[in-house]
Amino acid sequence: MKRSNLVVALFTAALVALVLKESWSGTRVDGTAILNLLVFALPLAGVYAISAAGLVVVYTTTGIFNFSQGAIGMFMAYVYWELRVHHNIPTLIALPLVVLVAAPALGVGLDRLLMRRLERQPLVIQLMVTVGLMLTFMGLAATIWDQNGIHVMPTFFGSGGVHIGQVILTWQRLTTIVVAIVLAVALRYLLFRTRLGVSMRAVVDNRELAALAGARPDLVSGFSWALGCSLAAIAGILIAPDTGMAVAGSLSLIVINAFVAAIVGRLRSLPLTYVGALLLAVAIQFSQQFLTLGQRWAQAPLALPAIMLFVVLLLLPQAKLQFGRIGAVHRIERVSSVRDTALGMSVLVAVMAGVGWLLTRSGPNPNLNRLAAAMAAALIVLSLVPLTGWAGQVSLAPLAFAGFGAVAYSKWGGAHGSLLAIVLATLITIPIGAIISIPALRLQGLYLALATLAFASMAEYVIFTQPELLGSQGAHVERLKIFGLNFAGDHVFLVLITAVFGLTSVGVVALRRSPFGRRLVAMRDSEAASATIGVSILETKVVVFMLSAAIAGFAGAFLAQQLGSLTSSNFQMLLGLPLVLALVIGGVASVAGALFAGVFGFILIYVKDTWHLSLWRSLEILGPGLTALGIIKNPSGAVVPIGDAFAPLLPWRKDAKARAAVEKARIALPEVGELGLTRPFTATDIVAIERELGVADDLNPHRAPLVNADRLRNAPTVAPSSEAALGTP
Amino acid sequence: MALLEASGVSVRFGGLLALDDATLSVEAGRITGLIGPNGAGKTTLFNVITGLQHPTAGRVMIDDRDITEAKPHRRARLGIARTFQRLEAFGSLSARDNVLVAAEMRRRWAKDDMSPADITQEMLEHVGIVAIAEETVDSLPTGTARLVELARALATKPRVLLLDEPSSGLNEDETDALGRLLLLLASEGLGILLVEHDMPFVMGTCTHIDVLDFGRVIARGGPAEIQGDAAVQAAYLGTNAGAGA
Repeated sequence: MKRSNLVVALFTAALVALVLKESWSGTRVDGTAILNLLVFALPLAGVYAISAAGLVVVYTTTGIFNFSQGAIGMFMAYVYWELRVHHNIPTLIALPLVVLVAAPALGVGLDRLLMRRLERQPLVIQLMVTVGLMLTFMGLAATIWDQNGIHVMPTFFGSGGVHIGQVILTWQRLTTIVVAIVLAVALRYLLFRTRLGVSMRAVVDNRELAALAGARPDLVSGFSWALGCSLAAIAGILIAPDTGMAVAGSLSLIVINAFVAAIVGRLRSLPLTYVGALLLAVAIQFSQQFLTLGQRWAQAPLALPAIMLFVVLLLLPQAKLQFGRIGAVHRIERVSSVRDTALGMSVLVAVMAGVGWLLTRSGPNPNLNRLAAAMAAALIVLSLVPLTGWAGQVSLAPLAFAGFGAVAYSKWGGAHGSLLAIVLATLITIPIGAIISIPALRLQGLYLALATLAFASMAEYVIFTQPELLGSQGAHVERLKIFGLNFAGDHVFLVLITAVFGLTSVGVVALRRSPFGRRLVAMRDSEAASATIGVSILETKVVVFMLSAAIAGFAGAFLAQQLGSLTSSNFQMLLGLPLVLALVIGGVASVAGALFAGVFGFILIYVKDTWHLSLWRSLEILGPGLTALGIIKNPSGAVVPIGDAFAPLLPWRKDAKARAAVEKARIALPEVGELGLTRPFTATDIVAIERELGVADDLNPHRAPLVNADRLRNAPTVAPSSEAALGTP
Repeated sequence: MALLEASGVSVRFGGLLALDDATLSVEAGRITGLIGPNGAGKTTLFNVITGLQHPTAGRVMIDDRDITEAKPHRRARLGIARTFQRLEAFGSLSARDNVLVAAEMRRRWAKDDMSPADITQEMLEHVGIVAIAEETVDSLPTGTARLVELARALATKPRVLLLDEPSSGLNEDETDALGRLLLLLASEGLGILLVEHDMPFVMGTCTHIDVLDFGRVIARGGPAEIQGDAAVQAAYLGTNAGAGA
C-alpha cells in the first residue's frame, strides 16, 4: 500500500471516529439493529448499483458520461406511473412496456439523434449535452405532470413483507435486492458470454479495430444506450416509492449516488461498482439510524456521496498524460484584441446606462434588477472562460464558488459595502479552489467535472447551511457606497455591475493573449506535447482553477449586492447547472459567450415572471435543455456565427471584411472536395468544373468536354457517405 | 560519455513485452537512427525517454544523471525535446503561437535572455515555415504540421532531439531540405535520435543506427553495416531468424 493511500485511509478513519463521537445517538448495536440497517441499506445499494451499471455500460462503450441517467429514470418512473396508476394498466403489461419498450426506444433515439455526433467533441460539450438532457427531462416531466398534484408510486406486491426476527423486509425491498442481483448476473453473462457483449468490450478498447474485426460500433452504441436507459428506468421505478416523485428531488439526483458507485469501480468494473453502491448505501443508512445530527448537520447525510467521492478520488492513481485526440473537433477560436473588447464593453456599459434611464422614466422597474441579475450571472460564468474554454477543464460549481464570495462579502461588507470585502471575497475562494481541484486534476478531465459537482452539493448541504455563515434567517447585504458614490439604486448598480463585467472581460481577454493564456490552450490541445516542452501540467491546471475560483468569488460579491439578501438556497447545485449550460450554448471560449449566458438568463427570468404559466415556469429548466441540443451543431457556441455576421459591419474591422469576402467567394465556387463524397455529381457541377479548368464547351467550342455529362448522369452515383466510411478501410 | 542513455529498458503492457531490455545512447553532435518494423517498440522507447511512459525496468540517464523517475516537463528543462508520430501539434493555435509557447517556456530555465519572439522567428525560418506562420495548425497539411512540431521542439533549444518519423507527409524536396537541416543542427552540437521508415533518408543522414525488433535491439552500427546485417534483413522480411525465439 502506498504511503499516500495510508494517509487518506487514516484521515477517513479519524473523520468517521470524530463523527461517531460527536453524534452517536446511543442506539445499541445488536443483531436487530444491524439487521435493520441491512434491510434498508441493501435495497438502496441495489438501486444505486443498477443506476451505476447503466452509467458504466454507456461510458465504457461510448465514452459519454450520462448526467441525465437519474433524470431519465425519473421520467420513466413517471411514464410507468401514468400507465399503472393513471390508466390503471396491470403491472405485468405496464412494466414491460416501460422497461423493455419505452426506455430502450428512448435510448436508441438518443444515440441516433445526439450521442453519436458527440463522439469527437470536447469533454465539456459531451457533458453539457447530457446535463441539458437532464434539465430537459426534468422540465418535460414538470410540464406534463403538474408538480402541485400528488403522485404516489405503488409498491410491488403490496405493503407486506418477510419477517426476520423483529424486522420486516418489505416485498418491495426484497424485490429490489433480487432484481439487483439478477441484473448483476445477467450483465456479467451478457458482457462475457455473448457475441454482443464481447463486441461491447472490444469497442471500448478500440473502436476502429473492433469494426475491422467485425464488431459493429453503431449497433453496440445503440444497444448500450438502450440498456442504460432500461437500467435507469428500473432504478427509478424501484426507488420512487421511497424518494417520492418530485421532479427536482432525489429521484433525479440519484445520479450523484450512482456516479460515486461507478467511480469506485473506476468506471469500468461492474463488481467494484456494486461494492461502491453497497458502501455508500450502508453509510447513508448508518447515518440515519445510528446518528443524531444537530440542526447544523441536519442535511449532512445528503452530502455523503460527495464526501465519499472525494475520498475515492484521493485513492485513485494518477492518470497518464492525455494525448491529443485524433480527429478531435477543435472549437473555432477568434481571439478578439484587447482594444476591440474594451471598445465593445464601453458600448455595453453605455447601452445599459441608456436602457436603465429609459426604464426608470416611469418609476421603479423590476427589469433593472433583472438586468443586474443577468450581468451577475454573466460575471459568474466568465470565471469558466479561462478554465473551461481555454484549458478544457470542466467545472460545474461556479455558483458554489460565487456563493463563498457572496458569503464573504455579506460578512465583511458592513453597512456601506466595502472594497476590502470584495478583495476578501476574491481571495477566500482561492485556497478552497486548490483543495477541491488538486485531487481531481491528477485524474482525467471527467473526474474534475464530477468532483466539482460533488463539491457544489457539499456546499449546498453542509457549508452554506452553517448558521455562522448566513444566520438562520439569511443575511442582509448592503450595496457599495464609496468615494461619495452610492450604488444602492437599481439604475446606478446596473451600470456598476456592467462596468465591472466589462473590466473583468478585458482582463480575461488580456490573459488569453498572454503567455499563460497560450499555454492553457496548448495544454488543452495536447497535454503530452505541452509536457515535453516543459509545461508542468498539474501546476498549470491548479493555477487556472484557482484563478477561476477567484473570479467566481469576485462575482459572488456582486451577486450578493444584486440579491440584497442571501439564503443558502441561492446557491443550490441545480441552479448552477443552467448557468454553465447557457455559457456553453453561447460559446465557452469567449467573453461574449458569458454575456450571452447573462442575456439568456434575463429572457428566461423575464418570461417566467411575466406569464405565470406552468409551462413558462418550466421553461427556466426546459429552455437551456432544448438549446443544448443546438450546441452539437456548433460546438464553438452561438456567439461565433453571430459575431461573424456582425463584425464585417463594423468600420474598423477590415480583417472581418476580408474574411467575409473570402468566405463568400468560397461558397460561390463548387466544393470540389465534397463532390461525389457528400453528394453525387450533377450536370451543373460538371459544367462548373469544366469552366474552372477552361475546357467548357462555351469557352472552347472545338473541344469535346473532358467528361461526358450525359453518361455521368446515367451512371450510378456515389452514395453520400460519412467520413467514417472513408476513415476506416 | 554519452549525452543521453537508456539502458536495460523494458515495458510490459499486460501480456505484451513492448520493450525488452533495450539499450541505446545518443551522442552530442551525432544523428542516431532508430529503425525497425512496425510495432518494434520505437515509439514506446521515445515515450520512456521523454517520461510519458514509465518503464517496467531500466534506467534513463542524461549527463549521467538518472531521470527515470523525473516528470516529462523536468526532462524538457534538462534539454530533451521531441516530435510525435501521431501529430500532437496545438491544433487551435497558429503555427507561430505553437512555437512561441515553447520559446516562452524556455525562459523559465534558460540562462540567457533571448526574447521568445526572436527565438520563434528564428525557428520558423530555420524550418522554413514562415509563409504559413499565421495559419491555424489544424488547417495545415500533415507534413507541414510536422514541421511546426519540429520548430516547436527546437524552440526549447534542446540538447537532445527525438524525431518520430519527421519525413512522413513530406515530398522529396522537402525531405531533402529536412535532411540538410538535421545535419546542420547536428553540426552545431545537437544530439538527434531519429525514428524513420524512409530508408534512403536514414542511410543518408545517420552516422549510427540501432535496429529494434520485438522490443529488443538486434543490431547496431554504421549504415553500411546495418544494410549488410542478416538479422536486420530477416526482421524486415519477416523470416523466423528475425522473430528469434
